[in-house]
Amino acid sequence: MNSDRRNFLKLAGLAAAGWAFPRPVSAATTAPHVLVIGGGFGGATVAKYLKLWGGNIDVTLIDRSSSHYACILSNLVITGAIPMDRIKLGYANLQSKRGVNFVQGEALAVDPVAREVTVNVGGTHYAYSYDKLVLSPGVEFTPPAGNYNADLTPHAWKAGPQTLLLKQQLSAMTKSQTFVLTIPKSPYRCPPGPYERACSVADYLTRKKRGARIIVLDANASIQAEPVNFGNAFRGIYKNVLSYIPNATILGVDSQAKSVTTSQGVFTGAVVNIIPTHRAGQIVTDAGLANDPTGRWALVDPLSYASKVSPDIHILGDSQGTGQPKSGHMANSQAKVCADAIIRAFNGEAPDPAPVTSSACFSPITSSKAAWLTASFQYDPVTKAMKRVEASFAEAAQPTSDGMQQMYQWADNIFADSFS
Amino acid sequence: MNRKRPYNPQREPRPFTSWRLLLPVFIATSLSAFAAPPPGQLLAAQCAQCHGTNGVAVSGFESIAGKKADDLYKGLLEMSQRRPENIMDLQARAFTPAQLRLIANYLATLPVAAGETLDN
Repeated sequence: MNSDRRNFLKLAGLAAAGWAFPRPVSAATTAPHVLVIGGGFGGATVAKYLKLWGGNIDVTLIDRSSSHYACILSNLVITGAIPMDRIKLGYANLQSKRGVNFVQGEALAVDPVAREVTVNVGGTHYAYSYDKLVLSPGVEFTPPAGNYNADLTPHAWKAGPQTLLLKQQLSAMTKSQTFVLTIPKSPYRCPPGPYERACSVADYLTRKKRGARIIVLDANASIQAEPVNFGNAFRGIYKNVLSYIPNATILGVDSQAKSVTTSQGVFTGAVVNIIPTHRAGQIVTDAGLANDPTGRWALVDPLSYASKVSPDIHILGDSQGTGQPKSGHMANSQAKVCADAIIRAFNGEAPDPAPVTSSACFSPITSSKAAWLTASFQYDPVTKAMKRVEASFAEAAQPTSDGMQQMYQWADNIFADSFS
Repeated sequence: MNRKRPYNPQREPRPFTSWRLLLPVFIATSLSAFAAPPPGQLLAAQCAQCHGTNGVAVSGFESIAGKKADDLYKGLLEMSQRRPENIMDLQARAFTPAQLRLIANYLATLPVAAGETLDN
């Protein structure tokens, strides 16, 4: 706590004790403090835009890693199309260009009464105080039954070491082997992502391991995003290499044996890529904020992303439960609504009553062509929820090489818009 | 950073002191120098994922900062009404005509990207 604040608290204490509240001379030099937990697309964007739009606000961004690996484009790292460095995003620009304080540390617990978060920084525990807290921790996985071990049967659904592990396993496959991919029940991070991975792997096997196959076990009844483009690819160009099996609920995983038992049978592969069921990040659950009917996601007011349990805590990105899709683009979009609402709140104003969020993404279908998907959401004052604008919701008519080029341009721009 | 202090698990939970009730007063005062966010700023920020922060793209897509408001509005409105062919035709449909007008007016106030000249 700095001396300005300490002085202010002393004054405030006197005021509370019955003294006339003096003109807050010290307040002019004391900026409010926003603490942001999680340096993915949501956390980085909210930190950046609070500084860009808010001016006199102290922003501290905390992440357990010194840099973020984007899930966007990460399927292309797995097939070797692009290097790992292409998806590595640091925090140096947020610090130098925007004035965000970055701290590498692990947020352990939230105390909403004291307005403090306990953070493990290099082995020492510190309490960070806040006026507003933003939690954008991404997702946690619920491990399937059995001896599930992500080091043997990787998810590669949080980019980083898991991405490289799956890349190594794919690369080591022989031409007679099988790649098994499991897709969790919706909602999960990046609705088109698993189908994109299926296409990227199928394309790779066709080119590099002719004879090898991929089995896609979907816990859902049908393809969850871009059903035209992915459906056409599964039934068309990949029909000899890819088997798509819907309604395949995982009953158990034997990571040692590389085997998965599902409601549609038992499947074994040289590579078994288990993407487990998702829920909100651990710190959201631990703080008692995962309060939707499933107990998996945090209910928030979509005008500000303020928790319905604790209004000075905002939850955005994958952990929130507004029904909007979970993706980096969406987290970026929500972060701007959240930053605007926090700045207005510091100014004594209500949030913008009509925010719009949008989601766009490009999915490689082959090594040279990509399709796109987009959906946007308007606030509905009657239901107090974000409602999809049906006219804005569509997928590309077919994958194109222009789409592939736009995919990289979109990635460059959203990376920069979030992290620099 | 002086916002942190060593964590002491032994310390008593802090009571809900009355100064917290005064916090909104203090915050509102401390930021009172700031004007309300300009209309259209938040809506226009939803263009930035492709067209760059403040409408200046870092690669590929067109920079949209500092263009004439009427031209931007006309273009956006047309995209939102024609038979959808590309992703932008869908994105334009996310907004009402009144919101598109706010976006166009706001983008027109932003500085043009370095090295670019207005072609309108």
